[in-house]
Amino acid sequence: MRLSEIPVEGIPYDQLKIEKYTCTPEYAERPADLIPSGARAVVVNPNRTCMPLGAMWATMGLHKGIPFVQGAQGCTTYVRYTFSRVFKEPATIATASFHEDAAVFGGRRNLIEGIRNLVVRYRPEVIGICTTCSSEIIGDDMVSNIKAAKAKLREEIGREAADAVDIVLINTPSFAGSHVEGYDRASRAFVETLATRQTGPNHKVNIIPGLLYPGDIREIKHLLRHMGVEGITLFDISDPFDAPLRPPQKFPYEPPGGTTATEIRDMANSLATMALQPHAGQAGARYLERKYGVRALVGQTPVGVQGTDDFIRGLSEVAGLPVPEDLLDERGRLVDSLADTFHHTMMKKVAVMGDPDVVLSVTRFVLEMGMEPVALAGSSVSKTFVHSLREIFEEGEFTGDPLVINGGDLFEFEEYLKKLSRLDLVIGNSKAVDIAKELQIPLVRVGFPIYDRFGYQKRAIVGYRGGEILLADIVNSILGYQYPDDRTHQL
Amino acid sequence: MSLVRMKCNECIPERDKHMYVTGEEPVIPSCNIATLPGDMTERGCAFAGARGVIGGPITDIIAMVHSPVGCAWYTWGTRRHLSDQYAWATKDRLTNVAFNRRFCVTSDMQEKDVVFGGMKKLERACLEAIRLFPEAKGLIIFTTCTTGLIGDDVQAVARKVEKETGILVFAAQSPGCSGVSQSKGHHDFNTQFYRQVTELRERRPELKMREEEKTPYDVCLVGEYNMDWDLKVTRPLFEQLGLRIVSVFSGNERIENLVKMPDVKLNIVHCQRSAEYIAEMEKEGNGVPFIRCSLYGIHQTSKALREAARFFGLEERAEQIITGEMARIEKSIAFYREKLQGKKVAIYVGGPRVWHWIKLMEELGMTVVAGLCTFAHADDYEKINAKAGKGMLVIDAPNEFEIEEMLLDTKPDLFLCGMKEKHLGRKLGVPTVNSHSYEKGPYAGFAGMVNFARDLYQGIYAPVWKFQWGLNGGGETTDAAE
Repeated sequence: MRLSEIPVEGIPYDQLKIEKYTCTPEYAERPADLIPSGARAVVVNPNRTCMPLGAMWATMGLHKGIPFVQGAQGCTTYVRYTFSRVFKEPATIATASFHEDAAVFGGRRNLIEGIRNLVVRYRPEVIGICTTCSSEIIGDDMVSNIKAAKAKLREEIGREAADAVDIVLINTPSFAGSHVEGYDRASRAFVETLATRQTGPNHKVNIIPGLLYPGDIREIKHLLRHMGVEGITLFDISDPFDAPLRPPQKFPYEPPGGTTATEIRDMANSLATMALQPHAGQAGARYLERKYGVRALVGQTPVGVQGTDDFIRGLSEVAGLPVPEDLLDERGRLVDSLADTFHHTMMKKVAVMGDPDVVLSVTRFVLEMGMEPVALAGSSVSKTFVHSLREIFEEGEFTGDPLVINGGDLFEFEEYLKKLSRLDLVIGNSKAVDIAKELQIPLVRVGFPIYDRFGYQKRAIVGYRGGEILLADIVNSILGYQYPDDRTHQL
Repeated sequence: MSLVRMKCNECIPERDKHMYVTGEEPVIPSCNIATLPGDMTERGCAFAGARGVIGGPITDIIAMVHSPVGCAWYTWGTRRHLSDQYAWATKDRLTNVAFNRRFCVTSDMQEKDVVFGGMKKLERACLEAIRLFPEAKGLIIFTTCTTGLIGDDVQAVARKVEKETGILVFAAQSPGCSGVSQSKGHHDFNTQFYRQVTELRERRPELKMREEEKTPYDVCLVGEYNMDWDLKVTRPLFEQLGLRIVSVFSGNERIENLVKMPDVKLNIVHCQRSAEYIAEMEKEGNGVPFIRCSLYGIHQTSKALREAARFFGLEERAEQIITGEMARIEKSIAFYREKLQGKKVAIYVGGPRVWHWIKLMEELGMTVVAGLCTFAHADDYEKINAKAGKGMLVIDAPNEFEIEEMLLDTKPDLFLCGMKEKHLGRKLGVPTVNSHSYEKGPYAGFAGMVNFARDLYQGIYAPVWKFQWGLNGGGETTDAAE
């Protein structure tokens, strides 16, 4: 029998169409007094998730690194699910499996046994222990628990094997911050626990990328390579979260790549640390500066011309190396692209949502295109977000007065967008899909999380080449949306 | 039949009692017990069971997650329990997704709330949410580790808010660290909801179904969550039979219909792990009998229809429906059976779907070589033993190592699993199908089975698997294979 001879679908798609019912007879405006996030106790459609996710993300970027989550199973399972959904990759994360007894007696036994069970089977090189709401409320004495866990390990597998496993504690109660802060705390925890002063300098540059995707990290490495700079990328998720399908695999499955513990130790001897996301990774950079005098360069994420210029200038300066011709050509190609497209981007009204550093760097880039930001929603409350935006506006000679949401929810964002008389584009993550579709405005996807489309985690928006990709996305979305028929849109 | 030891468990012998190979004598493994910390379990938490599985599908309630932001965020539009009830997005457009998956509502507990207690904030949050969403006919407060541990009395808040607003308010208290898996959350939701509905019906008898509205053919479909519109294919089968489905617990269901569950003549229980509890309670408390069924595969769906028909004396009509449906799908099934014949499949699901699907796979000519359950109880393993052939590896609450070893040892042609495991399977070169929320469902009923078969076929016959062994076809990573 041949495929063409049968109806391949059990139930054809058009038959799956459902009759939609409405909850209320007609549209009603939501009560105005409850629109601003600050006026409510309730949060509707949060723009951020919990702190442990950021710490787990970081730990996943380590070679043979495993996050161990000191909490209930959901704290791990939900995050693994999220990572798999976003990266289309397995995410190996261990849990202390808190049940009632842990809630009553504390999680000491879970940690000691859990570390033991994890190590004897997996032999990780680094374990990042992420605490959770429950373990923090119970008040586990994690430092003493980890000591006890190490002692047990030594007893069972011998001192040498036990000491080969680095255990790093990251305190991440969800009620005290977001995923962005979780990553930031992890950046400090790992260098604080592992980095050590060696005899001489290593002539390398530390890069803490923040919550950037594998494609972005690969682009940063490309820039480093062309500059002739050797780098240490802390939390290098580029291979673990974008691994090739090449069986046979090791058993148990071990994702390729990741930053080694040895590299982290060596970070104390580098020329400088460049934190590419001020909100996610700055803490690690500052710690290295204070403790070891490793210069910290914390700037906006290298998105667009000026963002990448800052990064390249910083790199050139700390390494004492000139910017090579081929990178200047890359820059020139991005500038050329801007010249080829500004007729379609200038004065377009755009709303941006996502993690603060994504919003800041993307806003800077859209101003380079002559676009007009009308609403900017940063996911995680930040002391510097508003000020940084003001600086970006000034630099871009932008005098508009957009809505700025600093840590508020997406409900406020969407209600504001609904009332705008004109909006041309939304830039943000998958949590903005519904908003954009309902407003019939194109959405350009950037940032975390993107789970409803394929490939965004594999490509870059940073660097000059990443800028071209993002610019193309923006321009093409506008073109697709603004010109439904054959009215001329000459490029 | 014997208990087995996997290589990866040599240093964790406690895991041995969780796995066996089916054979002559039925074995029930250790199950529904505490997870070993650090064993890389795939299990979730009780909150997930209550909020995600049972509470989530209800179409017109506000799911108030009383917690710090994470627990709410992760359960926002994640599970694909679809619904046909929409809110208005603008004057002339409906929301992009239905109401139950469009909004995420939480009390977003902060440090000071944890220190001083979250009840005041919760109450305010509930009142505000009810004002914000006139779409909602009810509100369910879900507790989490945080609010369970600090001991917020959410039941008291629920009563107060209901009194003040007139909206039905329920509490589902199932903190993540209670119980050993999601299963505890299912159980908690069942018992608490049953109790609260009973009290509500006493308090507000007008919510019961009026006598004149009742028909002799009123039934409730229990434990059906409308994954990827399963109900679109299963519901009409019962309706053609002449039954009136008053309520579904809880797929695509309105809260007012769920309150009418005690008014039906029969409960038809599909997921017997997550929802048989409430059917039992309805039987005990309200005298509503129930039958168990499976709505997967030809044989089992037919059996379900026949048994429901027998209860109401509608046998003849059942046969007509089955004949009609079979005529519709016969050719497609024959095609896929030819292609799938002799293939080996491993199934890893929550629990019941292992035994739901053993027969279905046989109908497609496939053999189940391994069945793994996240949160099954003893009765699930009894059902597995009754349906499985000899030599099937069964693992309770498997972890990542065991799943890998199972895939390497049993070498299935296809691995049915969830989102977290499917990428692992692929990395090992084993095709996977997301059987939790389906690749392209619905999978239930007769018509759904063709979709299921198509996705299994696509899994095995995708051209990609030809390329996985590298440039020279031998798997170039010689150092990787051990």
